[in-house]
Amino acid sequence: MGTMIRALRASAVVLASVAGFATGAHAADPLRVGAAFITSGLDPAKGSNGWALASHGIGENLFSVDRDGVLVPELAASAERVDELTWRVRLKPGRQFSDGTPVSTEAVSAGLAHTMANNKAALATGGTLRFKAWDPLTIEVTTERPVPLIQALFAEWPMIVYGLKADGGAVFSGPYAVQSFKPDAEIELIANPHFEGAQKRSPVTYRKFADAQALTLALEAGELDLAFGLPAESIARLKNDPELTIQSFPVGYQYLAYLNTRTPALADARVRRAIDLAFDRQQLATAIHGGLPATGAYAPYFPFAGKEARPTDAAKAAALLDEAGWTAGADGKRSREGEALTLTVLAYPQRPDLVAMLPVIKAQLAPLGIAVETKIVENANDVAASGDYDVFLWAQHTAPSGDPAFFLNSTFRTGAGLNFTGYASPDFDAILDGFATESDPAKRAEIAARAQQKLFEDAPVSFLLSPVWHVGLSKALSGYEPWGSDYHVLRADIGESTAAPLD
Amino acid sequence: MTLPARITLRTVTSLLVISLLAFAVISAMPSDPVAIAIRAWNLPPDGATVAGLRSQWGLDRPFLERYGAWLARFVRGDWGLSFRTGEPVLAEFLQRLPLTMTMALSGLALAPLLAVPLGFLAALRPSGWIDRATRGLAVFVQAVPSIWLGLILLYVLGVQLRWIRPFTRDWNGLILPVALIALHSLAVLTRVYRRDLLDVTRQPFFRTALAKGLTRAGALWRHGHAHALYAMISAFRAEASWAVGSTAALEVLFGLPGIGQFLVESIAARDYPVLQAYVMVVAAWLLVLNAGVALCLAWLGPSRP
Repeated sequence: MGTMIRALRASAVVLASVAGFATGAHAADPLRVGAAFITSGLDPAKGSNGWALASHGIGENLFSVDRDGVLVPELAASAERVDELTWRVRLKPGRQFSDGTPVSTEAVSAGLAHTMANNKAALATGGTLRFKAWDPLTIEVTTERPVPLIQALFAEWPMIVYGLKADGGAVFSGPYAVQSFKPDAEIELIANPHFEGAQKRSPVTYRKFADAQALTLALEAGELDLAFGLPAESIARLKNDPELTIQSFPVGYQYLAYLNTRTPALADARVRRAIDLAFDRQQLATAIHGGLPATGAYAPYFPFAGKEARPTDAAKAAALLDEAGWTAGADGKRSREGEALTLTVLAYPQRPDLVAMLPVIKAQLAPLGIAVETKIVENANDVAASGDYDVFLWAQHTAPSGDPAFFLNSTFRTGAGLNFTGYASPDFDAILDGFATESDPAKRAEIAARAQQKLFEDAPVSFLLSPVWHVGLSKALSGYEPWGSDYHVLRADIGESTAAPLD
Repeated sequence: MTLPARITLRTVTSLLVISLLAFAVISAMPSDPVAIAIRAWNLPPDGATVAGLRSQWGLDRPFLERYGAWLARFVRGDWGLSFRTGEPVLAEFLQRLPLTMTMALSGLALAPLLAVPLGFLAALRPSGWIDRATRGLAVFVQAVPSIWLGLILLYVLGVQLRWIRPFTRDWNGLILPVALIALHSLAVLTRVYRRDLLDVTRQPFFRTALAKGLTRAGALWRHGHAHALYAMISAFRAEASWAVGSTAALEVLFGLPGIGQFLVESIAARDYPVLQAYVMVVAAWLLVLNAGVALCLAWLGPSRP
């Protein structure tokens, strides 16, 4: 009997120590994060990697937009204008990249100059920028075009700050550093030892889920601490799970439809306006279980956003199509000179909401006599840039720097890097030129309103919805607050993997 | 020439022919990788950028010169650099291929091991419950896409019952994909094995064996097994091809960092070195399996009734 009791006591001690070890190990466990997107590489100058690397908490900008949508200094301390084309940007002292090298004027200048030379999206607002070290902490920046608010330019997603290494790689300054990276699959992050609070920051395993249902199931199965961008149709079910916290938040993204002005049917602005009028935005919001009908190019919480929802008017749309020569036959289908009005409408799986909207779009255009072929494409940027589409459903953050100019300049100015619709209007470009010299926010909002009015008239784009996104959290991260759309998924304030809510 | 030597020669020749055809087809794909890269990376679309990328990727050289250079490097283990990631293709494959191969081979290996006893029991009692169940299973897995079945199993076994952890990076995460591959092949192979066993029961020598006092099970095993195994191994070839395609889809569904998702993105980017390497790996996989099957069939051949 005594032997048995001793054995039981020994077992209890072993179990207690195992339990103690498990509890102690918990805080060092990696946070498990899942999302539909992952950076396509670690070269910050390539494509949209600058955005993804900042979103993953790896990189920072000189300026950024905080949770209230306010432009704030990040790696910079301040910026002041010297003359029309010249600014001096002062860096915060004592900041280091993750390899311990200082965030110096030389390193920042070399990195940004490299981006300027290799990513034309970086040229959208100020043209090519030139950098010169003014003193050990000050960079003199000369813009090609006048820029009224250099802080907003440096908050744009291509303008991520990095140091160029001798081997051509890049080193960043954000709260996390890259431990390993498998393209298209996962990235393992560790705390950047040179970022404040590193000792309290858990490592992160960030995984891409190409399938939104799989992302949902991984969260439900307890395999993720943070699932970013859950499909709307799963939210009601997930909210009943006591193990999970679901946060829904309005985002700066807009769901829109690019109308390709280079195709024979859509070259006519009347046809594009008819399509814009045919969309019932409330119905689209119902289809994706949330969101608001768009008022224009910007989410409603921005001060420069429109106030009235875009109209729906089927009768006016039909009249416009008649006027453009696309008349309805006995079967209700429209044609012109024997050619049927058939449109190819695309969406991409990385934004499941857009895919859910496809059949609704098709159903909304059918009563007008427009036949629609829908298609889902993986490589959205490439297809959009190739121009091989009629209508492309798109999700875009339209004010990532807290200012209205970047989106309009980069997407609709004649020949701009991200001008996928082929829209070219000297009048519209002239309106945008106003941004270059106007720094008063109210007057910039007026310019944005005039530019949007011109877009409503010419309709190279139809603004559809201001969406709400959903984030699922395990108990380890139940205090996480999503903000900044998908520009700041991982941030310095995420902290440890712990069952207790974060402060 | 011996059979193994003939098979080896045929395999190597086939790989060479496939490599040339694949190189031609991939090079002729619509959309230029340079144009795609310029768009995807927001590069300045000027002549210098285009010329620089074409030269860097060797696309400014004649087709045969490019093919010859690629082949010479490939056989030495230098599979080139991925256009998209800039990393060595061989390293990218070595990172991902073990997972894909483990998944496909485990599923394929499991199937015949289970198909033989199940098929045997089904043939032993035609229209019995095992026979009916395997028939039902065969119809079900042929009719239902493995992605859909995967989602259902994920939900039931992973979320509701929590019997498995389907998204971990250890062997747990492979259970469902392997089971799905095995299930598909199992259903097909079981029916093939059972059908050929039953063929034997209609032969005069089978009735003779029964008359001599052998049990039905004993007679089936002694006189039917090798014949049915022959047919099953032939069917295994088709299943191996199916597994190649299905692993890509299952990797996407289960978020596994195998070759599937990498391939999808590489096709979109027209990443020639990755696509060429993938074709070669799949060709080698199928040719080696075919060679293995041919050797097995040759070994079994004389015992066919």
